[in-house]
Parts: sequence; structure tokens; C-alpha cells
Amino acid sequence: MTFSTDSSALICSALTKTFADTPVLRGVDLAVPPGAVVALLGPSGCGKTTTLRLIAGFDFPDSGDIVINGRHVAGTGVQIAAENRRVGMVFQEYALFPHRSVLDNVAFGLGGSARDRRAQAAALLERIGLAGVGDRMPHGLSGGQQQRVALARALAPKPELLLLDEPFSNLDAGLRAQVRSEVRTILSRAGITSIFVTHDQEEALSFADNVAVMLEGRVAQFGSPSTIYRTPVSREVAAFVGEANFLPGEARGDVVYCALGALRLGAPLNGAVDVLIRPEMIDLHPQEDGAAVVLWREYYGYTQRVGLRLAGGAALTARVGARWEGAVGDTVAVTISGAVCAFPRR
Amino acid sequence: MRKTFRLFTLLVFFGSIAASLLAAAQDASPLVVYSGRSEGLIAPILEQFSAETGIPVEVRYGGTAEMAATLLEEGANSPADVFIAQDAGALGALAQAGLLASLKPETVALVPAAFASPDNVWVGLSGRARVLVYNTEVLGEDQLPASITDLVDPAWARRVGWAPTNASLQAHVTALRVLLGEDAARAWLEAMVANGTQSYDNNRAVVQAVIDGEIEVGLVNHYYLFGFLAEDPDVPAANYFFPDGDVGSLINIAGAGVLATSDQADAAESLIVWLLGESAQTYFAEQTYEYPMIDGVAIDARLTPLDEIQSPEIDLTDLSDLEATLELLSETGALP
Amino acid sequence: MQLTRSIFGSGSDARWLTALRAPMRRVRRRSRTMSILTLIAALTVAVTLLPIAYLAVRALGSGSEGLAYALSPRTLAVVGNSIALAAAVAISAALVGVPFAWLTTRTTLPLRRFWLVAGSLPMVIPSYIGAMIFIAAFGPRGLAADLLAPLGVEKLPPIYGFVGAWLSITLFTYPFVALPVRAALLNTDPAQEEAARSLGLRRRAVFWQVTLPQLRPALAAGMLLSALYALSDFGAVALMRFDAFTRVIYTQYTSSFDRERAAVLALMLVAVTVAILVLERRVSRRGGGNYRAGTGCARRSVPIRLGVWAIPALLFCVLLVGVGVALPVGLLGSWLLRGAAVGAELSPVVTPTLNSLSASLLSALASALLAIPPAYLALRSRSRFRQWLGSAAYLGNALPGLVVALAFVFFASNFLPSLYQTMPILILGYCTRFLPLSIGATRSALTQINPRLEDAGRGLGLRRWQVILRITAPLARAGITSGAALVFLSAMKELPTTLLLAPTGFETLPADIWTATSEARFAQIAAPALFLVVVAALSLMVMLWQERQTADRL
Repeated sequence: MTFSTDSSALICSALTKTFADTPVLRGVDLAVPPGAVVALLGPSGCGKTTTLRLIAGFDFPDSGDIVINGRHVAGTGVQIAAENRRVGMVFQEYALFPHRSVLDNVAFGLGGSARDRRAQAAALLERIGLAGVGDRMPHGLSGGQQQRVALARALAPKPELLLLDEPFSNLDAGLRAQVRSEVRTILSRAGITSIFVTHDQEEALSFADNVAVMLEGRVAQFGSPSTIYRTPVSREVAAFVGEANFLPGEARGDVVYCALGALRLGAPLNGAVDVLIRPEMIDLHPQEDGAAVVLWREYYGYTQRVGLRLAGGAALTARVGARWEGAVGDTVAVTISGAVCAFPRR
Repeated sequence: MRKTFRLFTLLVFFGSIAASLLAAAQDASPLVVYSGRSEGLIAPILEQFSAETGIPVEVRYGGTAEMAATLLEEGANSPADVFIAQDAGALGALAQAGLLASLKPETVALVPAAFASPDNVWVGLSGRARVLVYNTEVLGEDQLPASITDLVDPAWARRVGWAPTNASLQAHVTALRVLLGEDAARAWLEAMVANGTQSYDNNRAVVQAVIDGEIEVGLVNHYYLFGFLAEDPDVPAANYFFPDGDVGSLINIAGAGVLATSDQADAAESLIVWLLGESAQTYFAEQTYEYPMIDGVAIDARLTPLDEIQSPEIDLTDLSDLEATLELLSETGALP
Repeated sequence: MQLTRSIFGSGSDARWLTALRAPMRRVRRRSRTMSILTLIAALTVAVTLLPIAYLAVRALGSGSEGLAYALSPRTLAVVGNSIALAAAVAISAALVGVPFAWLTTRTTLPLRRFWLVAGSLPMVIPSYIGAMIFIAAFGPRGLAADLLAPLGVEKLPPIYGFVGAWLSITLFTYPFVALPVRAALLNTDPAQEEAARSLGLRRRAVFWQVTLPQLRPALAAGMLLSALYALSDFGAVALMRFDAFTRVIYTQYTSSFDRERAAVLALMLVAVTVAILVLERRVSRRGGGNYRAGTGCARRSVPIRLGVWAIPALLFCVLLVGVGVALPVGLLGSWLLRGAAVGAELSPVVTPTLNSLSASLLSALASALLAIPPAYLALRSRSRFRQWLGSAAYLGNALPGLVVALAFVFFASNFLPSLYQTMPILILGYCTRFLPLSIGATRSALTQINPRLEDAGRGLGLRRWQVILRITAPLARAGITSGAALVFLSAMKELPTTLLLAPTGFETLPADIWTATSEARFAQIAAPALFLVVVAALSLMVMLWQERQTADRL
């Protein structure tokens, strides 16, 4: 089997893995272009971390192949060990070596003389804004600092691929956004192909160049964040990525008929469907004889969520601008801007 | 369920403590014997004593030395009435600490003077002689040396065996130090080692090696040979006693004394007298082939009678300085 | 110090934790529970220090003569011998125990569970039996010599002296290292090793640079136990004729009846022990506070495929189990059969077995309870005195059984005559000898418990004693149980304490074995010895079962 025709930094094809009779991966296919930051997004138990560990080489697939920069690292008859893959990894709880100083942690994967290694590590620490903490022990650092040290350690040996396992899940909300953008800057500057695992769809959409949505041991959809969000390939993907309202409808070519009337379809379709309506597609207009009643309202400042009940009884959640003025019990008219997606009803 | 279990374990715990306290409280005050002689070699005869006299006996078994050390620690509060020891040294140590009561003159008179303490606080119960066991297929009695000191002759090189870790041999070396002096004892040990004397783990192994022809003679206690004779009367080995009061023919004893703190000294002494009686003495002679301390007890026909052994004159309590002996044994290389 | 470090060890949450703890500390300042715990711990430690008080009394009696004896070349040589033996045993026990622990936790070794159980069994064999078997097998006229003689091997390398004592004690103590190291291997976060591998380190380098440093506290604790065993063991050094402390102390007590000199020697042994304890504390403290940050990413590490290395690994296990288990049990069995064949009278072992069982069980229970206060204080208190209490209890374990037993003979017969030679004193003696085993196990179990959980309990309104009962103790249950099992096993084997302190007429297995040994009746040694090994092996099952439970829960 050859993969040389493909210029992808990473190819996973038909990976399967079973733990104790439970199939965790059921054929994972993935191709990551060089330099991209890819999010593996999925609910817990979907196999995303297992996929990451197979790529890292901590475990081997039951079947299927993994190719990194044209090098076949796992598959039939091939089992390249983790230490020979040049794949860096940032662990969920960072896994900093508690018995080594910060500098020694960063220098751990470097080669050369002790002096060179320390100098390189110090330079790296400086680049990530942690100059001066090199002599401290890891447990003396804050969570955000530990995160960056773990990143520096993984980047130090200049790996071909960087893997991050739930890299931000251990940080509290306030810190998370800040650390995230710092990490993003570091990754872009390094220009390294990165794959990170997350169950947080907002994190995946905002951080990644491409998102692979994993559901039940397979990659359900791979694409840019906007593609994934705007044109999900299945009702499941749509439900998992972002907030979704589904209304039953009848598709006839470019138009679908549902409780909100006739809506324009992005792609032609026929038959019974579920229509996906994202909350922000909904516009509300005060109107005495409108089709919907406001059930509840959550005010966030920059935005607000509004719960509606349609005349037919269906419930909808809308996201409207901060300036929308309305009250619970108001009757409103509902319009949809733009084309909608629909999925054939099973 | 788990709570019940926890409760149960607690009950068992405190219950058993209470039970043992109770047991300690209702003491029927039997005669308490501390025995350095092991259970198999004395329990039947003590049971017989109880059956005959109606005096209940409670026995605590342990090593002679450990028992002596225990008695020294217990001091005035010892629950023991009688101490039965496997060697005279332990009895000597207790006597020196003033822990043994004087025995009645008639009790002491039951045994030969050499086998009782000079100040009448302990008596021997049975005797064990040091002998040279030899292979009768290789050697005749006339070819054997006249003295233990002759074994260092190059003619005996690599033909002699001993068990330097054995307490009896060590007591024997102590006797050598006492009788011949430190320098002579050291010279003898060095010469024995230089002469290629073979070391064994214990006396039994020495006798076995003599029977197997691995060595020709061995320094052991007299009764080990009889263990082998009991299994096979035709084993090619015999005991040889060095003549003329040679230090090689040392006779040591297993003995007993009454604790000064005993509150039933009479009963205690009656046990000792009984142990010197005919049935107990016969038991020792038959069971272990040791020498009885009293006249009129038949001994095995193959044993040289005690009064025919020309043993050296020595106060057995002088044999308690073992530390110096051990030092000498290791300095001369007899002990590895 | 220890406390702050263990809190900060959890990493990311350090910030809010410091904020959380600040007001709490004020509330906690005066805790009645802590005072009661301190009192219990102090009493416990006082009892375990009785033997040292006794030794001091005895040694003072000797005056300047004692000092001269202590400084005599021969005594100093004995000190050197003992230190050399303890160090050699600790190192070799680690060299055997760590690979064994690693093979049985991290690799695809065939029949892993079997090797684990069989390979841990040597620790249930008392050294006085083990050394006897060793001599019977490898002595100048032993089994091996007989087997090799036809092959032209005339002389085996001598096993007496240092080599014999060292090898036999190593063989019977390496499980003391292997078991805690196994627990540590099961508990460490495999992510650290994976991180090292993703940084390009080969397996071997990962082991040396990442795994081993994390095992340090467990390794140090295990090596400490085997060193203390080597210092206090009598059976092996006596049979192997090696002039270690215990052998000379025994000689002084039992042959020369010189209690002063024996006490001087024993006090020097205590001093050596203190030095070793300080060393161990230093070593294990450096790597302290390594409990896992959370259980969120808990995962078993992927077993390492041994490939062709399975063959040397199996040979290693076969050798350990062969020499440490099959040989002793086989020889004992053959003695039994030979005895039965010639119609030797085999003593009934039911009563002694039940007696040994009940005394050891009670001691295990008592020391499990008594170990909690000192262990808890050592880790959770910042007072130096309380931390010291946890360490001081170790001193009893280094003293030879005879010394501890005689100390109790002295104190009980003179000050508690109504309890003398009763079960409680026997149990007290066992506890003094073996409390450190359960303190050690309880302590390492407590180290693994994140103090955050206890804080959470207090946050929910529990008082400190309620926290200990409802959170700490249940979480540490596996460790406490293993400690109790270890005490049980040691008490089953213990000879001098049993002989001197047991109620009169209380037959026990070790006493039976001793009697048979002193009468040189091999067939009669075999039956009680085999029973002892079987019963002690049951406690090993308890330990391994607990280990499995803990591992499953993580």
C-alpha cells in the first residue's frame, strides 16, 4: 500500500480498535493537510482520545493504517513505536514530570550536550513567556503556566505532528479563553500540524482550521468550522455541533414546508425531513397575530436566548441581539433568514 | 451486613482479651516448670509425675538459654518453681544471680558430687559424655589416640570431623581453656584447623560422615551414635573414650534447680527428687541413651558405664564463659 | 511542609485551593480530635519504645565497661557486618523486587497472575526454615552437592557467612519491595511515561528517567523494610553463621548470660536503625506528594509486549519461584513423606494452628487500629512532634525478637504480673515488633488520598474525626488491610516473642517447629512448617486481593 501520492501530513484510514469486546473505533478515516490545526470533536466515549493515542503510538489499531508525512507508522505488519514517530503530545493533565524542574521538563526531549539542551529549553521558555520560572518545580506553577510548559516540552524536539488531549479542560473558564489564544499563537508561529481532542464544540469551532466530528467510533464529518456548523451532514452532527432546533417538514426540491411556512433549502431534497433551524437564523417581530408566543427569555448582555412556542405546539429556541425588547407572553412573528438544511426522516 | 461483621470482630477482640484476663485470674497454682529440655524428651515423664503424686505441673518449653535469660529478667517475680536445663552453664548463671534455692542435702547426695553444684543449688539429671566416634571398618580401638590433643598430629590430617557451631563442642572448648589454659587451647584449635579437620553442621552429621567413611573419627556427644544404632544395629561405628582423665572425655550434664522465689519449694524439690528416681532415670537412659545419675539403673549394654570413664576434674559451672570461646573459635578460623 | 507540598502537588487547582484553605486553617487551629489522636499515638509509641527503655536501663548498669565493649574492634566489626548485610539486602531486594513488580504489572508476561502470587510467596517462609532449607539444598553436603557430584563438581562455593545470609534474606524479603512498588506502578499516571516516549525516549530510558523516580517513595519504603528485616533477623544469620548484631546479641544473652553487653549491642543496633530511618525519610521525601491529580484520565497503561524477552523474564520468575517456594515446600514435603514412610509420630497440628491463627489475627487487628493515629499524624499534621511519632514506632521493628520479648518479660513480670504470660502481653509484643509494617502500609495508603477529599468532607460539615472515619479510613482501607495482613504473616512466623511471651502451655506452630528442630526430627518440622506456610499464604491472598480492588477502583 502506498500513500506517497497524497500530500497530507496525516492519514488515518479505516482504523478499528476494540477494548474488551467493546468496539471503540469502527473505521476512522481522516486526512489532515500540512500545517492545519484540526479538532477531533465528539461526545465522551466516541473514540476521539483513542484515535489520538493510536496516532501517538501509545497503542496500535486492530486494523487500518496510519501514515504520517508519507511514513507508514501503523498498519498490517507495521508498528512504529511512539518514541520513533516524532509526534509530540500535550496531555490532559499535562503529565509534567514532578521530579524535574520546569527547565528540565522542557529540555527532556532535546538532544545534544547538557548545556545546549538547557540553552534551547530556556529560549523556548522565553518564547512562551515563562522566562524565569525554569528553576521552579512544576507543582509550583499555575494551571495556565503548566499548560504552556507542557506545550513547550512537546514542541521542543520539533515534532512533525503535535497532539493535544483536551488541552484546556483543566483550566477554569476565565483562564481558558486567554490560554487558548496564547496556545493558538504559539502553534501558528511554530507552523506545526496539530490535532487536538475536545468535547467542547465552541472550542473546536473557534480554535481549529478544520474540525473532524466523531460519533460512535467514526469520523462523521470533516470540514472547516463554518461548513460543519452551517451544512452538517447528518442530524446527529447538527445536534452535537451548536444549538439546533428541528422541525418536521416536507421537502420539495429547493423548498421545504414546515410549521414556519415555506423555507429555502441549501441543497435540493424531496420527502419527509427534519429541518435544521439554528437559533441565530430566527428573527422575531412583535406582532399581535404572530405565529409564536414567548415562553422564556435569558439575557446575556451581548446576546439573548428566547424560548418560543409555535401555534402548532412545536418549541423553538431563538438567539437574538441584545437590543431586542420583548417579554414573556408576547406574541411574535417568526422569520428565517437564509437557506436552511434538512435531513431525510428515518 | 458489614456493620455486623465489624461488631463481630470487635467482640472477638475484646472478648479474647477478657477471656485471657479471666484465665490469668483463676490460677489453680500448679507447679510451674521452665524446661530447656524439649517437650518430646520430658513431657511424658512429667505427666507420670503428676499422675503419681497428684501435683499438677504446667510446663513452659524453650531453649535452655532463652529460659535462663527469661528467669534472669523475671527476677523476684518469676512464676517458675523449677528450672530444667540442658547444660550446667545456664544453671551456673542462675546460681550466680542468686535465683536458685538451696536443695536439701539428701537430694544433692543422690548424685555424684561432680554432677551437682558446689553450693547445692542444682543437681544433674542425666549425663552426656564427649567421645571420639570412629569407623570400625577402618580403625581398631588400639589405633586411636590417647588424648584429644593428639588429633593435631599430621597423621590425622583430614581424617577428623567436628561441629564447631554445636553448643556441646563449644562447651568442650571452654573446658579446654579452663583446664589447659588459653594459649594451649588456642594452639590446639589453630592446629586442628591447619590439620584439615572437617566441619559439619551438627553432631548427627559428624556421626553420619563417620559411618559413610567420609572421615574416620569425629568429636561428638556419646548418644548420637545410638540414634543410628537404633535404626541399624550393624552400622560400622563405635564410641571411644579418651583414657586417663583426658580433657577429651568431658562429661556434662542436663540438670535442674528450684527457683528461690518458688512458693511451693517442697513440691518443687519433690519433683527433682522424683526425676532422680528409678522410673525417670530409666526413661532418660532408654529414651535418649544418656547416663543416669543414680546407681541401679540399667544402661544400654553398648555404653561404657559412667564410673569407668576417666573424665577430667572440672567444675561444670566454669563452662559458662562462652563469649570468649566463640571469639577464640572465630579467631582461629574454626568458625567461618 | 509535607502538607503544603501535597496540596500544591495537585497542580492546576492550587490557586483556588490556597484561597479555600486560608479561612479553614483558622477554624482548625484547635482540634480535639487531633489531641486525642496524638494521645493515642503517643501511648502506642511509648509502648513500642519500652524495649529501648529496658535496654537503656541494662546498658547503664554496665557503665564504662559497656562503653569499652561498644568501642572494641570486635564490636565495631559486628556493626560493620550488620550495616553491610542490611545495605546489601536492601539493594539486592530492590534489584530483584523492582523487575519482578514491573514484569507483573506492566508487561505481557505469560501467566502474570500466577507468577505474582507464586513469586510473593517467599515472604511467608520464616527465615529460620528458609535458611535451614538453603543449607540442606546448597550446603557443602546438601542436595545440590549430591546432584552435582556425579558431574565432577567436587566443591560448591561456600554458602556460610555473608553470602549465605545475604542471599537467603534477599530471597525472603524481596516481596517487601515488590509489593509496594507494584502498588506504585499501578497507581502512577501512565501519561508521564507516554509523554516521555512521545519526546523520543526509548522504553529503557523512560524507565530510568521517569518511572523509577516516581517509584522512589515506594522503593525506599520497601528497601527500608527489607533492611530492618536483615538487621533484626536471627534465623538466617545464625544458621549461616554470620556475625551480625542479632547473632552476637543472642550469644551474649543465651550463652554468656551477659545482659549488659547484649543491651549495649542492641542499643547500637537502635542507633543504626535511626540512621537508616533518617536516610529513608530523606530519600522518600524528595519525591513526595505524587498522588494523581485526578481520576479523570485514569487509564491502565498498555502492557509492554515482551516478545523474545519473555524467555529470560520467565526464567527469572522460574528461578525466584523455584528457589523461593518450590524448593522449601518440596523439601518440607519430602521430609514429611519420608517421616510418614518410616512411621514417625507426626504431632497433631490443629491446636497449634488455631492458636497461632488467633494470636496473629488479634495482633493484626490491634496493630491495624493502632497504626492509624501515628500514620495519620505523620502525614496530616504539621507539628514536628506528631510527625516524629510516626517514625519512632519503627524502632521496635529493628530489634531482634529476643530483645523485645525479654523487655516485655522484664516489664510485665515486674509491673504487670497479672498480665504476664497471657494473650494480651503476647499481642502487645507482636504489635511492638510489627507495628511499623502496618504503619508503613497505612501511611502509603494515606499518601495516595488527595487531601482535597478530606477538605471536601469538612466543607460538608463533618468534624475531623468524622472525616477520618467516613472518608479517610474507607479510602485507605486497602492499605490498612494489607498492613494488617503483613502483621499477621509476621506474627505467624515469629519465634522468640512467641516462645517467651505466650501463655504457658499455649502451643503454636513456630514453637512446634522449634521443638522439632531442637530434637533434629525433620519429619516433625515439616508438618507445622507446611501449615504455617499455608496459613501465612492466605494473608498474602488478602493483600493481593486488596491491591486488585484498589487498582480497579482507580
